[in-house]
Amino acid sequence: MKITLDVNGTRHALDVEPRRLLADVLRDDLRLTGTHLGCEHGICGACTVLMDGAAVRSCLVLAVQCDGSSVRTVEGLAGPDGEPHPLQRAFSAERALQCGFCTPGFLMVAAGALEADPGLADDPDAVASVVGSNICRCTGYEPIRRALTRAAREQRDATACPARVQPRSPEPIEENS
Amino acid sequence: MAQWTRREDERLLTGRGRFVADIDVPGCLDAAFVRSTVAHGRLRAVDCTAARDVPGVAGAWSAADLPDLPPVPYTLLAGLSTEDAVAGREWPALVKDRVRYPGEALAVVLGEDRYRAEDGVAEVTAVIEPLPAVVTPSAALDDSVRLFDGLSNIALRGEAGEPVDPAVWRDAAAVVEATYRQNLLMPSPMECRTILAVPEGDRLTVWSGHQMPHRLRRELAALLGWSPDRIRVVVPDTGGAFGSKSAAFPEFVVVAHLAVKLGRPVRWIEDRRESMLVATRGRGQDQTVRLAADADGRLLAYELKIDADVGAYPHLGVGLPMQTAWMAAGAYTTPRVHATLRSVLTNTMVTYPYRGAGRPEAATAIERTMDLLAGRLGMDPIELRRRNFVPPDAFPYETPTGRRYDSGNYAAALDLALETLGYDRWCAERDRRRRDPDALPLGIGVSCYVERSGGEAGGLHEFGSVEAHEDGTVTARCGAAPSGQSHETVFPALVAKVLGVPEARVRLVEGDTDEQPEGLGSFASRSAQVAGAMLQHAATLLIERARTRAAALWGVPAEQVEWADGTVVHAAPGGASATGLGDLVKATGPLRVEDRYEAGMAFPFGAHAAVTEVDPELGTVRVLSLVAVDDCGVVLDPAVVRGQAFGSAVQGIGQALYEGIAFDDNGVPQLSGGFLDYLLPTFAELPPIDIKDTRTPGPGTPLGAKGAGESGCIGSPAAIVNAVADALRLADPGLLQMPLTPDSVWRAAHAPEHEEGAR
Repeated sequence: MKITLDVNGTRHALDVEPRRLLADVLRDDLRLTGTHLGCEHGICGACTVLMDGAAVRSCLVLAVQCDGSSVRTVEGLAGPDGEPHPLQRAFSAERALQCGFCTPGFLMVAAGALEADPGLADDPDAVASVVGSNICRCTGYEPIRRALTRAAREQRDATACPARVQPRSPEPIEENS
Repeated sequence: MAQWTRREDERLLTGRGRFVADIDVPGCLDAAFVRSTVAHGRLRAVDCTAARDVPGVAGAWSAADLPDLPPVPYTLLAGLSTEDAVAGREWPALVKDRVRYPGEALAVVLGEDRYRAEDGVAEVTAVIEPLPAVVTPSAALDDSVRLFDGLSNIALRGEAGEPVDPAVWRDAAAVVEATYRQNLLMPSPMECRTILAVPEGDRLTVWSGHQMPHRLRRELAALLGWSPDRIRVVVPDTGGAFGSKSAAFPEFVVVAHLAVKLGRPVRWIEDRRESMLVATRGRGQDQTVRLAADADGRLLAYELKIDADVGAYPHLGVGLPMQTAWMAAGAYTTPRVHATLRSVLTNTMVTYPYRGAGRPEAATAIERTMDLLAGRLGMDPIELRRRNFVPPDAFPYETPTGRRYDSGNYAAALDLALETLGYDRWCAERDRRRRDPDALPLGIGVSCYVERSGGEAGGLHEFGSVEAHEDGTVTARCGAAPSGQSHETVFPALVAKVLGVPEARVRLVEGDTDEQPEGLGSFASRSAQVAGAMLQHAATLLIERARTRAAALWGVPAEQVEWADGTVVHAAPGGASATGLGDLVKATGPLRVEDRYEAGMAFPFGAHAAVTEVDPELGTVRVLSLVAVDDCGVVLDPAVVRGQAFGSAVQGIGQALYEGIAFDDNGVPQLSGGFLDYLLPTFAELPPIDIKDTRTPGPGTPLGAKGAGESGCIGSPAAIVNAVADALRLADPGLLQMPLTPDSVWRAAHAPEHEEGAR
């Protein structure tokens, strides 16, 4: 079946079997292997990508369902000049990854939440529900919560005072929720 | 680089990590396995004919189609198995005539991709005559159902320590007994198992997410009948392991065999459904304990009897319960300790090391029993522990079960845990709630553990090298293989510190048997302790060699040449000569120190404390606070160790409260809902966790590091269970068995033995 997919700003005309998962088409047909498959039944969220801006489990979406859609993967997270996304910097700074296998999924579900909710920085419950949507077996999640909170604050402060690159002074991110 | 905390981070955060499933090899075939839906049965027939006609299928084979297929190799490494246990109990890579665990592979199909391979799997037919299945040690013990005809299900008996004189029990002021179930767990790394075998000329390159590349090379070479140098094993990025990725599994044998037979690349990327059915399990022990003390609370004797569920084949984890037996004594000076075990075959996938690997089972048994004894004596459980700790001046301390604890200060860890928890404040709250009939009961539990890291005698060494280059950079190599432990960041920093050069000048190479010819790997929390000590040692030798060379170059005595910040210096009355490492290599040729370094066994320890609130009507447990104080000696990178401790504690919470496998009447795990039927902790379950440490250097190496990373799995479960038992004030702790699901807690809270009643 012929479909077109816009992935990370590049348009692809593809001929795919109707049964193929979006995750497999991204990984095998487009060689975008940053999207990982952790459970293939929609629980762990490692394969999360943004489809038209919304986070989806790419193991639960058929590629043909995405015909004409815009898909964003971890490879499309950095800026056009290669500048890391605030989430990527925050994940590193807060040690929100160890083995890194689940990381692309957490990054993408977080990126979707950041874009959809400008008030995320001031809404710990919303942050908790984002972090609670995926499984990580290494970090124990708390560093991921801190990373998302850090990136959300950075986004908030940049929006509040766009002329400033750095916020006034970094707020401490409390150790525990 | 400056914006990345670890060297691993940039690629892993930008989608450029390379896991085995990401490697693109043209013409590679995907393997899918036909798996038994029954737990135990006689295989009467397998027919792969129809599968071979499926478009995109390159071939399909049962055991009968592959007469040369070797069996699954076993290892006697670290006493994980014994010749006696293995004799007559071959593990075929594909079932020959008897299915012994659910999901055991009946046939393999290779396809152009996994979809085609699974199309083929759907066309394979098999006839299995079911046999009764036994999935617990108690069911398998009496041999009424035998897994191997003519052989007992008891594959190994073992003991540590001497039997306790009956008079000790008779004369003791207090004796308590209990039974515990150490629930069977799934290690569940986020990346399942992987292998990609690529034949090239007369060699085979094997890519695998693996903890022991050199062992995998050795075992694959043996089963192919090749010399090891014809096999290269490469471990790329690995998505977690937790002990579960160190063997040559049945599927690995099949993939390597077929890749060589066909002369084509073949890979197997395990999916989660397979993993939940046939990946190795952890824990799985039924324990009976007896502990005696005098009227002052001095421990007199401890007895631990273990019936271990080792799964269907004794090749791998049959000796693992010995780890529990050897560590039975815990943190105490109990003069008589006797541990006995029976390793029992059952119709489940094999039990194997999972984060903690035998030590959580020991720590949980003694720490739960300490609380029971304290209750019997009417003594504070904290005080009972303090009275019996091995004191700091008693090290090295020989336990009655044959361990030689290297160093420790157990009371200091407990003090810090209680202080961090706010113990007195929580005690007051507990007492307040006990007086308030409307309040949910609250309980406090502690667990003081000792564990063993580094490995067993004969496996306490590691290989590696440190090499200086003409441009002044340094390459460190070692036989370890990380799966998330930050080696690329931590080891170069260590070598750079020893040499006095900037970290950026040092890079690490590991996980490639062509680059590093010998190695043991990453298991038993050994990488920092053993490989770290090896690299420190090799870097120190490199300094010595550089000084010797410079002395020869300058024609001066070696003792007049000093080493400062990556430079050899000769301070002479007529003026100083100084040469950087790179220039020295240019002037004198390649400079490389290779080493095999042997460390001592180490005994990390700590104290964990938990506060839980229980709703007896719903059976729910809420952890209000968890404190983990761990001592792993000298810490190389505090943030990395902290990350390990935190993640490990969350896995410990998983064992205590959530993770368990239910079986149907036919012995098949009830896991059709995948991770909805096997509950890994998510952020929603995360309590406030405080991680603290004490640092008592390990005397086993000059580096002084002990193992880190398994602490939470070892220390946390008993703290949580003890807190729940404290909240419910149970007279019979045997009523509480992990995981403490609402169902099990409700039953415990409503059992007739329920003492006084918290409500």
